[in-house]
Amino acid sequence: MTKLFALTLAAASCAASAQTPASNPMPDGSRDMYVGLGVVSKPRYEGAADRERAALPVLQVQLSNGLFVSGMRAGIHLGGSPQVEFGPLLEVQPRRDAEGEGAEVGDLNAVRFSIVALPPAAFSDNRLAGMPAIHSRVQGGGFLNYYLTPAWRLTSSLLYGAGNARNGTKLELGVQRLALEFGVQHRVALDAGVTLADRRYNMAFFGVGEEDSYNSGNAVFEAGGGLKDAHLGARWNWAWSPSWMLTSTVQATRLLGSARLSPLVERPTNLTVSTAIAYRF
Amino acid sequence: MPLVPHITACCTVTLAALSGGLAYAGDWVSYRDAYRAMVVFEKYGGPKNFLQSQLQVAPQDHGASLEGVQLTLAGKTNQVNLPLDPLGRTPFPLLKGAYDENVALLLSRKIGSFAVRPRVSIALQADGVYEDGELRAGCEQALGFARYGDGSLRTRQCGGVRFVFAKRVGEVGVRLHRPDGTDAALAVVASVAFPGDADDNFPTVQYRFSGNERVQLVTAYPPLAIVPLFD
Repeated sequence: MTKLFALTLAAASCAASAQTPASNPMPDGSRDMYVGLGVVSKPRYEGAADRERAALPVLQVQLSNGLFVSGMRAGIHLGGSPQVEFGPLLEVQPRRDAEGEGAEVGDLNAVRFSIVALPPAAFSDNRLAGMPAIHSRVQGGGFLNYYLTPAWRLTSSLLYGAGNARNGTKLELGVQRLALEFGVQHRVALDAGVTLADRRYNMAFFGVGEEDSYNSGNAVFEAGGGLKDAHLGARWNWAWSPSWMLTSTVQATRLLGSARLSPLVERPTNLTVSTAIAYRF
Repeated sequence: MPLVPHITACCTVTLAALSGGLAYAGDWVSYRDAYRAMVVFEKYGGPKNFLQSQLQVAPQDHGASLEGVQLTLAGKTNQVNLPLDPLGRTPFPLLKGAYDENVALLLSRKIGSFAVRPRVSIALQADGVYEDGELRAGCEQALGFARYGDGSLRTRQCGGVRFVFAKRVGEVGVRLHRPDGTDAALAVVASVAFPGDADDNFPTVQYRFSGNERVQLVTAYPPLAIVPLFD
């Protein structure tokens, strides 16, 4: 009848299926906050074949006035109906660069000038080596979610401002099964969705210009707009007490369309796994 | 995919946390989560004068007994005992202090696997007499509230009500009084109280709405609940 315990705790990761938290009725002047720390195992960048493990901070804040922060996203719930959620949304697009390859690139620069004509990344297996860093950006847009039933939610978000030119746009569409209960303390949420991106977004993250090609050794690639990826995910929340919980996620993502064909992409299908302990207060 | 180290790390932090006393030994429910579920009825702006909303602790084992079980809200600023009725329901106090404290609702004893749900039913009358029109209005109000939270119920209609009685021999019965003075006892059948409950052995009397008869239903003993039926 209601979204009982339909908690979707979001992690502060760059998982593609970041969701807005369900609207959270609470007393005026109250809040619902989670902070935590865990680990994530994920591809080094979208489309990378190699993986990395990293510390994973977890953050979710919801205020009685509708304001929320959920991982890398922040927004405001403006809707007053239990069936529809909508509002403005901001998302931090994390920086992407060669990640740890900088010193090696510097060394290769010295080699390049002595040997002449070899691109800076000629001796690197890292396809991002020599590619320009994409600086972290705040994207702006909005979200609209619709509940088919209290347990099934259609989700969407539109965000603009990605890439160094701050003009990339992405549209995320998904469906979520909320709050499958296995006893009162175990809840699982499932989600599936697709991301569509315009040409400017895909060029920023998957395109290779002529200069980039020279610097990186990757073939020139003109990325187009359209379907960018499809993903399937699951989140398991295990509450130990009202204050402490373990939240774990697994998500499979497959790059599609123009993004999948990019020379930067080594493996189009990838898995992200995370687990974290969170404190609720 | 190096999953094994990941799983090992996960188990390690879990066990460390559990051994550190983060978990409760007994059964509990988060007051904050329960509040979120229950406040929806409070905030609902539609007609609801014939309705009551309660929190239900619903055992998932068929034979589990709730006799003598209560929920205890044990916060720093609020200490409240909430006895459960035989259907596992209790009125839920909406307390800002308890929400902000993020307290637990502790079950007084273990009852096995259970679920926690908000339950809306038609309010009982002290005299035990229910007009057909009042029951229809109550059912329509309950359907209106259910649709408010669940758009998929748009096509459902009110079909009747179910009187649910305690499992006490001889204390069950609903009589139907028609305007022409005729009187009939409605059949008693064993059933669940609410959809999704595990215990299907409560004595119940079902009354289906039909026509526009101005009839009265009279209960000799107070029922535990009058549950609206949606077709």
